Amino acid sequence: MSKKGYVFDLSLRLPLDHFELNLEYKGSARMLGVFGVSGSGKTTLLECIAGLRKDGRGHLSFSGEVWMKSEERLFLSVDKRRIGYVPQDHWLFPHRDARGNLEIGKQRALDNGIDFEATFQRVVEVLELETLLDRGVDRLSGGERQRVALGRALCSGPQLLLLDEPLASLDGALRRRILRFLIKVRDTFDLPMVVVSHNPMELQALCSEVLVLEEGRVLEQGIPEEVFRRKRIFDTAKDQGFENVFTGVLTEIGERTVTLEIERGDQAIRLRVPKVEGVVGDSVIASLASDDILIAIGKPEGLSARNCIPAQIEEIEETESRQFAIASIGSSVPSFVVELTQDAIEELSLKPGIDVYLVFKTSAVRV
Amino acid sequence: MTCLVVAVPGIALAYVLARRSFWGKGVLSTITTLPLVLPPTAVGYLLLRLFASDGLMGEKVLGFDLDVLLTWKAVVIACSVMSFPLFVRTARVAFEEVNPRLEDMGRSLGFGAWRAFTSITLPLASRGLIAAALLAFTRALGEFGATVIIAGNIPGQTQTLASALFSAQQSGNESVANRLLLVALLVGFVTVYATERLTRKSRKAKGGSR
Repeated sequence: MSKKGYVFDLSLRLPLDHFELNLEYKGSARMLGVFGVSGSGKTTLLECIAGLRKDGRGHLSFSGEVWMKSEERLFLSVDKRRIGYVPQDHWLFPHRDARGNLEIGKQRALDNGIDFEATFQRVVEVLELETLLDRGVDRLSGGERQRVALGRALCSGPQLLLLDEPLASLDGALRRRILRFLIKVRDTFDLPMVVVSHNPMELQALCSEVLVLEEGRVLEQGIPEEVFRRKRIFDTAKDQGFENVFTGVLTEIGERTVTLEIERGDQAIRLRVPKVEGVVGDSVIASLASDDILIAIGKPEGLSARNCIPAQIEEIEETESRQFAIASIGSSVPSFVVELTQDAIEELSLKPGIDVYLVFKTSAVRV
Repeated sequence: MTCLVVAVPGIALAYVLARRSFWGKGVLSTITTLPLVLPPTAVGYLLLRLFASDGLMGEKVLGFDLDVLLTWKAVVIACSVMSFPLFVRTARVAFEEVNPRLEDMGRSLGFGAWRAFTSITLPLASRGLIAAALLAFTRALGEFGATVIIAGNIPGQTQTLASALFSAQQSGNESVANRLLLVALLVGFVTVYATERLTRKSRKAKGGSR
């Protein structure tokens, strides 16, 4: 069941309390991310796409199906759009157990010629829900609820998955775990998705294209690695700092740490990172905060920090409050963003083109 | 019987009052509540005028005789009208406690509006609705004023627990009156207690799901 060209054509206007949601998007990204701080209109946008808000004006079509066209008073109701919507608070049905929740969309799946039993089995397997199936919703933890809500949407045979802040209600380690589930879902099911998030790291890990919303307008648009490096975005995302996201292959498993290799053409970069579940050969997503990286102009000796990789400064960026260096570690790998002080830039006379070393501790890398 | 007469329009009206906002909602809600605050005899008199042969629901307007007055039908009508507000108010709270987001979720999973109502809202509000029906039942059981006016107090035909108790007391038949009192106490206690338990549990169940 391969769907080619899920084309979004969206033009939307909707006055909200403090600003107007006003945006246009036309594209065919399978994984579309919508980034913005809270109150930027991203959840409202998702609700308009879902059909849960009827007051938007403009038009919306998905894969050639017209979902809304306000000048012709055309509005396809939410139950006819065949979407899988996973809201931030999950909203599982409290009168049914986990299995009952997963099965609630069975009728629609069958109506659309989907083999429900097979889909159900696959969802249970991918999201590791087997042991939760007979549990009541009130006996599930936050991460488990998230997985059941995701499974419920997947089981109903949607043609588009809408995720609203899938990780926001979870903390630290759990966030990583659910992120891995989301990646698994992305790689297992041939489904286009729209993911709303205020966390650049999540969107970099998941999406092939992002829209950055600010006060209801599209501020930037493009490939996540590039968009999140653009100057204006730093300030939009300032509360969280910038996180460098990269994918590596697990090559060595130690007692407390593991080694990740990042391919970069000629030779691989090896990084020592905290222990992660998995076997040699697994692909692992890691992130590194921009202010956890040091820059050295010569190769440092006798350091406790385990990671020291050669790089070249590409650019020095400045925002209102902070300075960043963008350092390339290889042509096939996204560049790293390093936060610096003005003094450091001056004293090391950092400028584009010079060779440096990026230094960071094992524990600074989050996997 | 009364419970059934009240339940269907009661659920519909309660749902509409809980979910929709429309012009005249306040007025509709007030009219619904009126029988609760009016003297029961006033409601009875109103019904009498309505069903009298020259009333709106009488022989002259309808063209045929509904034959309501002084029959068991009159009892049902009087009890229904009097217990309707109580049912609607309780049912409305039950619906309001079900978050509309849950209906939205059902809709997003392919449910039409009716299906979302029957397989999500109704089961989630069921405890509250049963409580509403029980309350309506007790109210109907205690109905006296309106019933006496349009149905009279004919033993074996239109006599209710309330009117039978009245007759027994008036005629000095104390042993009958005592027995009726006991029945009334028992039925009243059981239903109110059950209602309390139902509403408390449903609140707890829904609180945990948010």
